[in-house]
Amino acid sequence: MTYVMHDLEVTAPLPTLAIPPTARGYALVLRRRGRVVGFMMEPATGGTVIEPAALAPIITAEVGAKLLQESIAEELDPSSSQPAAMPSLTIAICTKDRPARLQRCLSWLLRQVEPGREQGQTIEVLVVDNAPSDDQTRKLVEGLAGVRYVLERRPGLDFARNRALAEARGEWIAFLDDDVVVDRGWLAGLREAWAENPDAGAFTGLVLPYELATPSQIIFEQRGGFRRGFDKVRYGACFPANSLYPCASGIFGAGCNMAFRRDLMIALGGFDEALDTGAPLPGGGDLDAFFRVVRAGHVLVYEPQLLVYHEHRRELTALRRQYWSWGLGCMAFLAKCYRVDPPVRPIIFRFMAWWIKYQVKEGLRSLRRGGPPLSMVLAEIWGGIAGVAGEYSRSERRIERIRRAFP
Amino acid sequence: MRLEAPCRIRHVDLAEGIPDLPAEPGAKSLLVIFWWGRVPLGSDHLSTAELPLPRSAVLHRAARLVTAAVGDRLFDYGFKACLPVHRRRMPEDRPPDLAALNGAVRPLATIARGPDVDREDTAAPRPSVSLIICTRDRPDALKRCLMSVAQADGLDQVVVVDNNPGNRATRRVVDGFPGVAYLAEPRPGLSVARNAGLAATRGEIVLFTDDDVVIEPDWPLAMVRAFIAPEIMAVAGLVLPAELESAAQIAFEQELGGFGQGFRAMEFDAEFFSAMKSRGVPVWRLGSGANMGFRRTVFDRVGLFDERLGAGASGCSEDSELWYRLLAIGARCRYEPSAVVHHYHRADWATLTHQVRAYTKGHVVALFVQYWRWRHAGNLRRVFTSLPYYYLWLVKEGCRRGFGLRQRLLPSELVGWCAGLWAALALWRRGAHVGEFVAVGQTGSETDA
Repeated sequence: MTYVMHDLEVTAPLPTLAIPPTARGYALVLRRRGRVVGFMMEPATGGTVIEPAALAPIITAEVGAKLLQESIAEELDPSSSQPAAMPSLTIAICTKDRPARLQRCLSWLLRQVEPGREQGQTIEVLVVDNAPSDDQTRKLVEGLAGVRYVLERRPGLDFARNRALAEARGEWIAFLDDDVVVDRGWLAGLREAWAENPDAGAFTGLVLPYELATPSQIIFEQRGGFRRGFDKVRYGACFPANSLYPCASGIFGAGCNMAFRRDLMIALGGFDEALDTGAPLPGGGDLDAFFRVVRAGHVLVYEPQLLVYHEHRRELTALRRQYWSWGLGCMAFLAKCYRVDPPVRPIIFRFMAWWIKYQVKEGLRSLRRGGPPLSMVLAEIWGGIAGVAGEYSRSERRIERIRRAFP
Repeated sequence: MRLEAPCRIRHVDLAEGIPDLPAEPGAKSLLVIFWWGRVPLGSDHLSTAELPLPRSAVLHRAARLVTAAVGDRLFDYGFKACLPVHRRRMPEDRPPDLAALNGAVRPLATIARGPDVDREDTAAPRPSVSLIICTRDRPDALKRCLMSVAQADGLDQVVVVDNNPGNRATRRVVDGFPGVAYLAEPRPGLSVARNAGLAATRGEIVLFTDDDVVIEPDWPLAMVRAFIAPEIMAVAGLVLPAELESAAQIAFEQELGGFGQGFRAMEFDAEFFSAMKSRGVPVWRLGSGANMGFRRTVFDRVGLFDERLGAGASGCSEDSELWYRLLAIGARCRYEPSAVVHHYHRADWATLTHQVRAYTKGHVVALFVQYWRWRHAGNLRRVFTSLPYYYLWLVKEGCRRGFGLRQRLLPSELVGWCAGLWAALALWRRGAHVGEFVAVGQTGSETDA
């Protein structure tokens, strides 16, 4: 019940793909000269072998145009391959009781941080330990050179993020979740985005699956996962391609891989601590941050080279909970927008209409073969209903209690 | 994204470096046309609220938007434009070749010195080229057009046909351009004028354009290059909007599809014809009479422009009906986007609705004429089924998404459709529906002369 994942360089001779007997398909991360250009998931019978000659047209059907597009972009801007300078950077990882995942995340990250520092960029790595139940995380971080440990006792992801904002010393601050692994081109992608968009206030990046080992992970990725495409996008005051802009804040990216200009984020008041509060309302904080950056007149850039691999939920129950939290977080975020940003109310109503229509469509699709499991759709709808029904106000009261409990 | 009036048009030559796009005060949207040298490769629709855009963002948008046209010119397969066929009745394009894609270093420079350009120097002597411009009472527009013609290379003969001249204004404009011949055609009708121009010219390749366009300096050469294969009998080129300041111009370009058929070449042949015969072959998708050319031998094989059709008679479609005849006898026609003219669309709404009425009427009459000549029932199917269904669909879309510019044109189309039926009925009752091919030397104008 797995998909084998391969990282393929399309300019090199293609390998022969052997699908293991237990696998149900394969997934390819496609690169052109090291730069990621595409991702594909194909079902395949276990035990088959795909020869390079058969694989090539499958790949070009998916990324043929993108390969040529990259080649054109290179021709138009021959200087783009040179590494650009970058202002000082803080990479913040907010974590809670997951030392094994944190260690994996840090070990991949530090491999890039060292060369980055040698090239003259000031890079700080900050681990915010959020309301830990033991000292494993602290011990882990203290054993690593060049990583700073900060303790945030108030439970809630956005408490931790705001703590990181306050503690960071870099002009830019990048946030990673502990369950991601950065790609080898992650830091270069951040520099590229900054060099191309020195006026930007925030960057988001591509998120691909770390593994596709369980049905839950496969379902999640087949429903689109966190992918937001392989083209750079510059989001400004308006974005005519999306009529629900900027309330459809999910198009910007995801909170497990984002970066902000630190002074801008502080000026905007940091993250909303009533969103992303952990168990009761585990989502929406990232959407809200992107939304406010764009609404404040700043540019947000989606950069696919800023790539991380996310370990999706392995269990179906955890996945169901994730969809529930998406519906909940999204609707809580909209409820907040409705309250604090009256000019976008008409867009919120249209977004709601779209959302309902989308969920109905997904529900109908789940009744057919090959559709998503109905329970996942229902979980998201249920989360959405709870989100509309005053979850944001309840959450505000909850965090007020937390603030009082940890003066 | 949808353009909104007033819209500015900006031409960006990628070969000369990529500019920042500054804010456009006073405009609502911006149409950017990307070129590489003299080759148009793609277009970008922007809202002025997205401006200013830095160079890097323009670059990545450009790279994405020109990819298809570049791939079409570089590779034999993988990036071909889809012909306008219903439900993919033609074989689909294959995915591109990976080795070829990996070998495409500096693709833009490669297309600039493409094989067609090389062949021009070495191959047989260049055919002689005549340009025919038919005009009627638009001396100012004609002057603008002739000024661009004077800058163009590769024309051996230029004839202006003054259709139904009311005064001497047109004559005076033409006299100001040495090397441009003036020909008066008293009988009204665009087909009549085009046929008179054909009789007065001798070029092996005959190009047509209208008085309300401005041609690119290399347009004649690009048209001639498009005839590279001997079996290609007709070529139509890309018509870009010259200005999009008013709602009427936006509606024409965007809601009615303008005259442009994209930035990738298309070859229409017998296979395409048979795939679409049962539904009415969409010959109007070849291009437009404002930018077309024929081998002279065409007119010996299938006859001249049908004088029942065209502006001044039925309203339009004299160009596409000739293409229909060519495709029906198995000839090849090519849409070639590197041959570019810029068209000034009608600026005011009243003229546009009049034009839409005339176009629809002409289209319906042309469908009848094609049916009478070939007995292809698809033409009638289009008149009585596809078009009414399409109008109903527009109403449905209007109810769903709101009645926009497109729906505002619908009444004119319905009137034009009825007028077309009426005109076809009149032709039928006069017995004018039976018509053999008219060959050169048999037109009314020449017998009168």
